[in-house]
Amino acid sequence: MKTIIEPFRIKSVEPIYFNTEAERKLILEKAFYNPFLIHSKDVLIDLLTDSGTSAMSSNQWAGMMQGDESYAGSPSFFRFEETVKEITGMPLIIPTHQGRAAEKILFSILGEKGKYFVSNTLFDTTRANIEFSGAEGVDLICEEGKHPSIPAPFKGNMDTQALINFIAQKGAGNIPLCIITVTNNSGGGQPVSMQNIKEVKKICTENKIPLFIDACRFAENAYFIKLRETGYADKSVRSIAKELFSYADGCTMSAKKDAFANIGGFLAMRNEALAQQCRNLLIMTEGFTTYGGLAGRDLEAIAIGLNEVLDENYLQYRIRSIEYLTNKLIAAGVPVMQPAGGHAVYIDAKAFLSNIPADQYPGQALVGALYLHGGIRSVEIGSLMFGKYDENKKLIPAAQELVRLAIPRRVYTQSHIDYVSEVIIEVFNNRNNIKGLTIIEEPPMLRHFTAKLKPVAS
Amino acid sequence: MKSIKHSWAEPYKIKMVELLKMTTPAQRKKAMKDAGYNTFLLKSEDVYIDLLTDSGTSAMSDRQWAGMMMGDEAYAGSRNFYHLEEVVKDVYGYKYLIPTHQGRGAENILSKILIKKGDIIPGNMYFTTTRLHQELAGGKFEDIIIDEAHDPENDFPFKGNIDLTKLEKLIKKHGAAKIPYVSMATSVNMAGGQPISMKNLKELRALTKKHKIRVIHDMTRVAENAYFIQQREKGYKDKTIKEIVKEINSYTDGATMSAKKDALVNIGGFLAVNDWDVFEEARNMVVVYEGLHTYGGLAGRDMEAMAIGIGESVNDDHIRARVGQVIYLGERMMDYGVPIVTPIGGHGIFVDAKKFLPHINQDQFPAQTLAAEVYLDAGIRTMERGVVSAGRKANGENYYPKLELVRFTIPRRVYTQAHMDVIAESVARVYERRDKIYGMKMVYEPKYLRFFQARFEKL
Repeated sequence: MKTIIEPFRIKSVEPIYFNTEAERKLILEKAFYNPFLIHSKDVLIDLLTDSGTSAMSSNQWAGMMQGDESYAGSPSFFRFEETVKEITGMPLIIPTHQGRAAEKILFSILGEKGKYFVSNTLFDTTRANIEFSGAEGVDLICEEGKHPSIPAPFKGNMDTQALINFIAQKGAGNIPLCIITVTNNSGGGQPVSMQNIKEVKKICTENKIPLFIDACRFAENAYFIKLRETGYADKSVRSIAKELFSYADGCTMSAKKDAFANIGGFLAMRNEALAQQCRNLLIMTEGFTTYGGLAGRDLEAIAIGLNEVLDENYLQYRIRSIEYLTNKLIAAGVPVMQPAGGHAVYIDAKAFLSNIPADQYPGQALVGALYLHGGIRSVEIGSLMFGKYDENKKLIPAAQELVRLAIPRRVYTQSHIDYVSEVIIEVFNNRNNIKGLTIIEEPPMLRHFTAKLKPVAS
Repeated sequence: MKSIKHSWAEPYKIKMVELLKMTTPAQRKKAMKDAGYNTFLLKSEDVYIDLLTDSGTSAMSDRQWAGMMMGDEAYAGSRNFYHLEEVVKDVYGYKYLIPTHQGRGAENILSKILIKKGDIIPGNMYFTTTRLHQELAGGKFEDIIIDEAHDPENDFPFKGNIDLTKLEKLIKKHGAAKIPYVSMATSVNMAGGQPISMKNLKELRALTKKHKIRVIHDMTRVAENAYFIQQREKGYKDKTIKEIVKEINSYTDGATMSAKKDALVNIGGFLAVNDWDVFEEARNMVVVYEGLHTYGGLAGRDMEAMAIGIGESVNDDHIRARVGQVIYLGERMMDYGVPIVTPIGGHGIFVDAKKFLPHINQDQFPAQTLAAEVYLDAGIRTMERGVVSAGRKANGENYYPKLELVRFTIPRRVYTQAHMDVIAESVARVYERRDKIYGMKMVYEPKYLRFFQARFEKL
């Protein structure tokens, strides 16, 4: 049997509202060609993010009903704490309302002007939080990770030589933290190998730099290690995940990804003094230490989700469904990031729309075209998200122009995915009709969330 | 003939229950010691009746639970957000909405936008997290509540009122340009849940308008305040709670809301403003701290529960039963001679620890001590609102607040009248043996908001 079926069946459904291409044209204009400004009821297939969009299990919903909403000392917290301790092996657990709050707390304590946070690749909110503290974020991705069309097993790896050089250049004292993002989201959901984590850990230890994991998709990464890295085929994903965390001094987690929760996150660490500082900040902006700004029921849902995600039948189905869509697109000649990542398909918009220059945002133009043609909502990860301006207000483009189609966990069926591939292929066949975009209005930070755009005059 | 009593009764019946654990005196003794005599550090499973807070502890209605199932968890443009936006406009009357994961998220953003270093923020009594965010943004809080508020036995009906002479003096001293806004709370928490009158609000509006100073409303218990206006203020007895709430808000420019109180949800809050520029800045900032502006760090289902809860919170029958239960408990305590803050407030009973334990000096934390003793008697968890909560000034000295209180906050729609009887009887027992109670010393003190995590030892 070659078909892999979902290790679950559907218990509750949510209707999708259909609309026409003519209606979508108006909607897109009204949303200023920014998918973040489209109302969700106007979207047919929502691949904007896999964050907080998972379908929870009946067990998680049962946990929700058991949530203890006491302000302090809720048993829901203790169940959550125990699960996170067990999986990460870390003793100090701090809940937060979502992942960015965990980052915000950590970087406000460790970051300041003149400091550098090194990483394989930092994600948008992570980078924003670092820059907000006055520090700089530095991406040191391995060479394979820079070429979307060349397959390699661990394209999320950090370039260890570059790390050594960077430490030598800036001094270990100016690097408060090294962060490994698993899987590497901005770099195509590509995994990091255990070997690479061990090497980075060694360098960090030698230089007394703490190593943190951005653990949003730790289970997907652990499953890739099992599939691809020598010596791990017979190990359980749970034990691989535990080994991965054993090399880290701490982690930040958005439970909205691999914990199947719709809200929530946490910080875990080994250093008591740092944890106490984090807790003091937590109380100010998030909530008391035993709820961190979450309802008790959400702590329950996270605890249950963290155990469900380590089920290997689920991970096999999850990884295989991303690969299924990727392979369909490759067969039709659509330029996509290879090999398939863990949570999303990444289209190479630079190659897809080679006629549109970076300052006309080819990724964003493609996002608009996919919505217009099939009601699919995706997101640009390119010059709109990461581009900057030089002193002459000229755009410094991002290294890559990608469009991410993130697949929510346990939400869409194979026929939804078939529909998505058909829409993309049809848009690809008519790609010469797509026009570039120009920005009319943008905020100073995280501009991709609220920027307004319009098509360039032809 | 004695007149027949008019009892309040709940305008709802119970649909789902949560089982409670009973504890023995020996278990409570150990639990309290392990928690460093700080009720915040008790495990909730060791608590029989939890009156620590009315925040996030409400029982949601079946309609709210149904709304939870209608959560639209899309990252951007969730249907639940638009529903919530519509309800906030309709019920509260503010133009622009920014959801946040809870009230302090809104306070953080608002303080960062409006306060510059050296600014003065006058308000009707401090609240812990509110003042902290004002200070962290570089501002200084100045208390302008009327003097009656600091007297637990004064029976003035609107002890949450602002003393306009104090405000005028501040404006004269610092200049209006140094005052970005007046921080006006309805149902003033630290004063014992005391209301502000509509007349006072109108006068505040007139004065601030003259000096072009904004009024920002801490509206977490606005419906409870509206109930007292309806009951006590001339000209309001025939108006609905919804009408009164809207009128209150009409005299303000914006609000921070912890929806975990009045709005009957377990998580959630928002910032609402009428000023487009403040809104735009807040929308850019919320992404960094909370989440995209159409979810603000909340699950879609929680926005839906909030939208439905806001509607339920301004129902006259609901508020009458809510405040009726609090008054019932207060009257039972007074029957036993227990000294409490009067008039009785909207969300809890505040026991006067200075009068309850007159032999314990404020340096030895009478309210903290009393909270521990109340737990030891029957497993009832309360909260200190006195010298520990007040914290320290910038120069390191303790604030010594006039009010040294223990707060018995009643969660909404959770406990029955029989629970209220148990509470009153337990407090009466502690009151009987008050002479044998001694103070405490603080053995661990965190830098900010020390009451949450401080630890104590018995003297």
